[in-house]
Amino acid sequence: MDFILNKALPVLFHWGGVCLFAPFFLGVIARVKAFFSGKTGPSVFQLYFDLAKLFRKKCVYSGTATWIFRAAPAVILGVMLTLSLMVPFGRFKAPVQFSGDVLLAVYLLAVGRFFMILAALDTGSSFEGMGASREAFFSCLSELALFMNFIVLALLAKSISLSQMIGANIPMSWGGMEPVLLLVVVSFFIVLLAENCRIPIDDPETHLELTMIHEVMILDHSGVDLAFMLHAAAMKFFIFSGILVSIIIPVRTGNAVMDMAIFFGGMLGLAVLVGVVESTTARFRLNRVRLLLLISFALAFFGLIVTLWRA
Amino acid sequence: MGGKSVILSFLIAIPFMGALAVLLPVRPLFRRWFFWAVSLTHALIVTFFWALRPAPEWQGYLVLDPLGLILLSVISLLFLAVSFFMIGYFQYEQRGNRIFTACLLALLSMMTLVSVSYHMGLLWVAIETTTLFSAPLIAFHRDWKSLEATWKYLLVCSVGIALALMGTFFLAIAAHDTHTLLLPAILSAAPSLSVNWLKLSVIFLFVGYGCKMGLAPMHSWKPEAYGQATGMVVVLMAGGLTQCSFLALMRVSQICYKTGLSDFYASILIVTGILSLVVPAVLLLSEKNIKRSFAFSSVEHMGILVLGLGLGGLGIFGALFHMVNNALAKVVMFLTAGSIAQKYGSSRVEDVRGIIHTYPMTGIFLIVSLFAGTGMFPFATFHSELLILNASIISKHYLLAGSFVLCLAVIFIGMARIVLAFVYGQPTEPVLAKKENFFMNTTIVVAAVVLLGVGLWMPVSLNRALHEAVTLIGAS
Amino acid sequence: MMSLIDVCCILAVFLALTVLATHRIVGMIKLFALQSFFLSLVPLFLHAEALSGRDLMLSLVTMVLKAALVPAILFWTIRHISMRSEIKPILGFGASILCGAALIAVAFWISLSLRLPGKLTSSLVLPCSLATMLLGFMTMVTRTRAMTQVLGYMVIENGIFLFALSLFDAMPLLIEMGILLDIFVAVFIMAIVLNHINEEFERTRGSAVSRPKWGESQ
Repeated sequence: MDFILNKALPVLFHWGGVCLFAPFFLGVIARVKAFFSGKTGPSVFQLYFDLAKLFRKKCVYSGTATWIFRAAPAVILGVMLTLSLMVPFGRFKAPVQFSGDVLLAVYLLAVGRFFMILAALDTGSSFEGMGASREAFFSCLSELALFMNFIVLALLAKSISLSQMIGANIPMSWGGMEPVLLLVVVSFFIVLLAENCRIPIDDPETHLELTMIHEVMILDHSGVDLAFMLHAAAMKFFIFSGILVSIIIPVRTGNAVMDMAIFFGGMLGLAVLVGVVESTTARFRLNRVRLLLLISFALAFFGLIVTLWRA
Repeated sequence: MGGKSVILSFLIAIPFMGALAVLLPVRPLFRRWFFWAVSLTHALIVTFFWALRPAPEWQGYLVLDPLGLILLSVISLLFLAVSFFMIGYFQYEQRGNRIFTACLLALLSMMTLVSVSYHMGLLWVAIETTTLFSAPLIAFHRDWKSLEATWKYLLVCSVGIALALMGTFFLAIAAHDTHTLLLPAILSAAPSLSVNWLKLSVIFLFVGYGCKMGLAPMHSWKPEAYGQATGMVVVLMAGGLTQCSFLALMRVSQICYKTGLSDFYASILIVTGILSLVVPAVLLLSEKNIKRSFAFSSVEHMGILVLGLGLGGLGIFGALFHMVNNALAKVVMFLTAGSIAQKYGSSRVEDVRGIIHTYPMTGIFLIVSLFAGTGMFPFATFHSELLILNASIISKHYLLAGSFVLCLAVIFIGMARIVLAFVYGQPTEPVLAKKENFFMNTTIVVAAVVLLGVGLWMPVSLNRALHEAVTLIGAS
Repeated sequence: MMSLIDVCCILAVFLALTVLATHRIVGMIKLFALQSFFLSLVPLFLHAEALSGRDLMLSLVTMVLKAALVPAILFWTIRHISMRSEIKPILGFGASILCGAALIAVAFWISLSLRLPGKLTSSLVLPCSLATMLLGFMTMVTRTRAMTQVLGYMVIENGIFLFALSLFDAMPLLIEMGILLDIFVAVFIMAIVLNHINEEFERTRGSAVSRPKWGESQ
């Protein structure tokens, strides 16, 4: 009974929260973008409707696809769910936390990406192969930047547990190091855009040949598989923005409701910001995406140097 | 001259006012004579300084010490020569000289400021301003090549001088306790200066001002700029501007001497000096343009100056003496090259040959330039180079002495090759047939005679000033 | 107020890095103007307890000259000469970003061995100004366009300026103004020379005169 109360219940809560809220923020982004282009746009709950529709549908598989293609959506969703357990969301502490969990988190992301790429290659379509190749290239760079950011945060918080780094110790890190955290925030924001296929890097709306990275890789998925993929992508965005919001807003009022409100307000603000960025910037040419990610890396690296210098 | 003396400020202000005055719409002929008059006035005042040294002005920001006096006299002499030459030169040029004269006068003003400024920050400002006023002068011809040369000069020197600014700030940190960059204050606080910062500052100052001087690794702007600018401008640059930066290097040397960093500084100076001899020696051998090859000769002479400063003792005396001689030699060399370029519309060996047949006087001048520029016997450059060679032998730098002589020999061969090709051979027709000009030739003759005279008999007062200056930099 | 200076220092390096990574000249000028603006704020944070007229003056002059006039001149120049973007950098943009990151590390490493005497305004000033300088050099060396080189030079100047502003009061105000004015005039003259180069280009368009590469119009 104790086990259920102390361990299982928080896990279920966490999962429930992530699963439930994740699609909402993508809806917000879509709404902001629609506003900027002078349209009403779909409801913020559109993704929920899409998911509900897809869950009722059957999957269609190509003749050349192997078990990898079938396993990938489940693996990716599983990875995201596991990952979400290590990330604190405002008042909700991470159910799983141990020293070094940040490494596991990054590698879980890598596992998800690995299966995504394999599945895309598995379809045998050159179209998806190209997307997979780009994804592999850009994720190399964004992972570098992500790692660099985590290193800076770990140094600041003097801990390599994600919960400590972005949760408990963030107010302390803000104490005298705000310039460094500014760099981390900017750098992490770029990583967030890259990892979630947002506009300056990738266009989530289309899967045209010019812009295809993420969307094109899930072109052959259908039905429940596609729902898994979409939901996992929404969760990924949720997790990333959760981390960023935790860094930006280190406020802890002590009042649970207030804290939650602040956190969700931050998430909402971030979603709006992403929407604004997507509406006001043009998608970069592929060879400039590389530069953006390198800048993100360089900023985090600069943050690392300053942190070491201060220490 | 106690109390409130204003003569130094006056000396800076006159040419500057003159620069503003020539911007007025007056006849070009008037501008030429006006420029000459200002230069003459300047020269007269400077001559007067040799008898009576002016008092410090502006709370010690402007001081004329022996080092400054030597440089100031050199500058004044150069301007006098150039202004006289210009009267003749512009008789053949169908173009306005408004901006040109204004820039020249402003340059005179700023170079005067360089030689009398006793504050390292002020010195920087003055030297940077000379860069800015000399840039429009290089673009005299307004064609691709001269604009490219101007651009290169402007950019390289600006960046170089920016480094010198950083060096000046480092110096301010090294001299943190004095709270000022006035030279006497720094010198008297010398023992308390922070050595690490001072070293850093010395490196930056050296690279920065060395860039402006055109020392070997930073000389890339020199052949371009000297090749494109008219002879008169090059005289002022090679004899005046570069030596202004050399004054800055000597100021650094003063500080280094007081703080016991002389060896550190000397090693930098000697290495760069010898490099500035080797590079032009190599590049001269394949040069086909007379102005460019004279530019390489200027790199060489800067190398000699720096080498002398680095060797210390007799070398410093030699370097200071060489400053005077180099300036005079540059007058002869570049004014001759300038008049050739004007007569033939080119300074490349393909277009100009057999000058001795067409213009006997100019041909002779070119031969004289060769001897004066490479330090051959009767000219004073020979003596100063010999002094520096002597210094390197006294200080047991035998390898250095050997390579010094070798480089000079190779440079002589390189210069002789191109000069003889110009002077002799099948004459080519000048593009713009012009007569020899009185003003132009007189200037060159007088400069050559003075150079010869100083070589044969050094005036007592010059000798004394040189010795005083040497004691400032610190050799016994 | 210490940390506000820190923020300005970090922003200076950050913007220098982005100047290095930008290929459009208009973007570079804007970033440079922003950098100058942040630098011009530094004197205000220096003596926070007692803001002197000197600091105010310095800040104002810097802002007007570096953050407004110099960018204005540069904008005027690129309007007149049709130079829009860096086309063939000597070192690719990606490689130069990585080199830039390495240069930042170098700047901090150099600063480790230099102890500043006296009371410090901020420990980040020296490394950040060195880093800005090095990044400016990088911009100058790796870019081939005349305009981009001017911008590199201006970034170097900003690095030096950051150092000068925040460390001491050894320079009399008049001389500091002289320095600022000199730099301004330098940019002005560079702009004029560029303009002449462009006119010369237009004049010789189509003829066989050999042209320097960096002057290419397009």
